[in-house]
Amino acid sequence: MNTIHHQNQDPLAKRVLGRITDDHVTPRPRWEFLLKNYVFWGLGALAVVCGALAFSATLFEIQNVDWQWYMVTHTDFLSFFLSAAPFLWVSALTLSILVGYWYIRRTAHGYRYPLMMISCGAIILSLSFGGGLHVLGFGEEIEEMLGDHPPFYRPILVEQRSWWVEPEKGLLGGDIENVASGTASLVLRDFSGQSREIDTEDLRDQDLTALTRGETVRIVGAPTTATSSTFHACFVLPWKKENQKNKPSPSDRAATSEQRVGERSEICKNIRSYEKLHASEDGEDE
Amino acid sequence: MRAGSEAYIVIGAMLPEITDEEIVRRTLSDKEAFALLIERYESKLLRYLERLGVSVREDREDILQNAFIKAYKNLNGFDPTLAFSSWMYRITHNEAMSSFRSKRSRPQVMLSEEGEMLITELQDEDSDTSALAELRLSREELAKAFENLSSQYRDALVLRFFENRSYTEMSDILEVPVGTVSTLIYRAKRALRSSLPKQFSL
Repeated sequence: MNTIHHQNQDPLAKRVLGRITDDHVTPRPRWEFLLKNYVFWGLGALAVVCGALAFSATLFEIQNVDWQWYMVTHTDFLSFFLSAAPFLWVSALTLSILVGYWYIRRTAHGYRYPLMMISCGAIILSLSFGGGLHVLGFGEEIEEMLGDHPPFYRPILVEQRSWWVEPEKGLLGGDIENVASGTASLVLRDFSGQSREIDTEDLRDQDLTALTRGETVRIVGAPTTATSSTFHACFVLPWKKENQKNKPSPSDRAATSEQRVGERSEICKNIRSYEKLHASEDGEDE
Repeated sequence: MRAGSEAYIVIGAMLPEITDEEIVRRTLSDKEAFALLIERYESKLLRYLERLGVSVREDREDILQNAFIKAYKNLNGFDPTLAFSSWMYRITHNEAMSSFRSKRSRPQVMLSEEGEMLITELQDEDSDTSALAELRLSREELAKAFENLSSQYRDALVLRFFENRSYTEMSDILEVPVGTVSTLIYRAKRALRSSLPKQFSL
C-alpha cells in the first residue's frame, strides 16, 4: 500500500465541490441526453430502412438476372456470378446492419441487448421490410435509382443489356423493327440504338413465336465479321422471363411464313452454346 | 468544508435510508447535496480503483475527483432504472481506463484479504478441492496471476469477487449484456487458473 499522503488533505467532497464552483460546472440539460438517445435510435432505425432498401434491390437482382442463360453470355458460371451477383446490395445490407447495431448499442440501454438479438432483429426487420418493398414492386426503382449513383456500378438491367450488344460474340438484343413477310430476314434495333439486318434462315418455330409478337428479344447467332453486316440468327429468346415458357399460339404459327423444325445449319452448330440451347429447346418441347 | 455540504453529510449520517436517487434529485437543485453522495462512495471507489490496479494514492484521488465531477455534469443523464452505485462505478471504471491509456501505464494489482472468495470460486467441480485447501495461495501470488490477465478479465473478477457485484450490476457497469458478463467471468477464472503457480493450476 502506498503510504505517501496526498498534498491536499482536504476531504474529497470539499475538493470536488470547490472545483465545481471554481470551474462553473453545471449539469448538462436533460434534453441533450434525451436528444442523443432519440438520435441514436433514429439512426439505428434509418440503418435498418437502408438495409431493407438494399435487400429489396438484392431480391430484384436475383430474380431478374439471367441465371438460366449464363452459359450463353459467359464462358463459365464463375465469371457470370462475378458480373451478376448483387455484391453492392449485399455489401450495403451488411453495412446497414452493422451501422444499425453500432447505433442501437449506444442508446441508453443498448448495451443490455446481446449482439445476436440486435443483429437478428436488424436482419429480420431489414429482410421482412425489404421483402415487402420487393413484393410491392419497389425493388426495381430502388435498384435503378440508387444504383445509378455509384460511379463503379451499373444497375443489373443495364448491365444485362450490355451483355447483348456484342455481335462479335454472337449476342444481340433489341426491339424488332420490321419483319418482312415472305423473306428470311428482319430488322432489329439493338440496345445501342443501331438497326441491324438479321438473317432468320436458321430459326425454328420456338424462335419465331417471340419474333411475331414484336417483342424485345435476344438473339444468339453466328458472330458477325468485318465483311458482313448481317447477323445470322440461330436462336431467339424473349427478353422478358415470363414469356420464355410460352408456346407458339395458333395465330403466331399462322403469322410465320412456314413451319420450321429440325436441325440448324452448320453455322449455328459451331456456336459455343449451341448444344445447351438446343437441349433446352428439346426440354421445352417435351 | 462548506457549511451546506457539511449539513448534508450530517443529515445523510442521521438518515441513512435516504436513497442515492433522492440525493441525485436534491443535487440538481442544490449542488451541496452532492457531498453526501461523495461521502457515501469515496472509500468504496478508492478501494475499487486500487483493485483495478491504480497503485498510487494521488492517482486514485485524482481519478475519483474527475469521476465525481463527470458524474455531476451528467446527473441529468442518470437513468433511475439502474442503481446509482452501478452508474458511479461505471464512470469511475471508465475514468481509470482513460487514465491507464493516457499514461500508457499497466495496472499494478494489489489485492487485499478478500481474495479468499475468489480462491474458493476457483475450485470447480472437477478440481481436487482437498489438495487445494492444503495449499495456501498467498496474496502476492494471486496478485501476480491477476496482473497477467487481460484488463477485461481482471475487471470482471474484481467486480464479482472483490466488489461483490451481481451480474446485472456488472452488466450496467461494464456496459455489456448479462450473458457476456457470465462468459467473461467463466473465461477469466480459466485464465486465472492457468496463470497461477503450477501447484495451484487445476
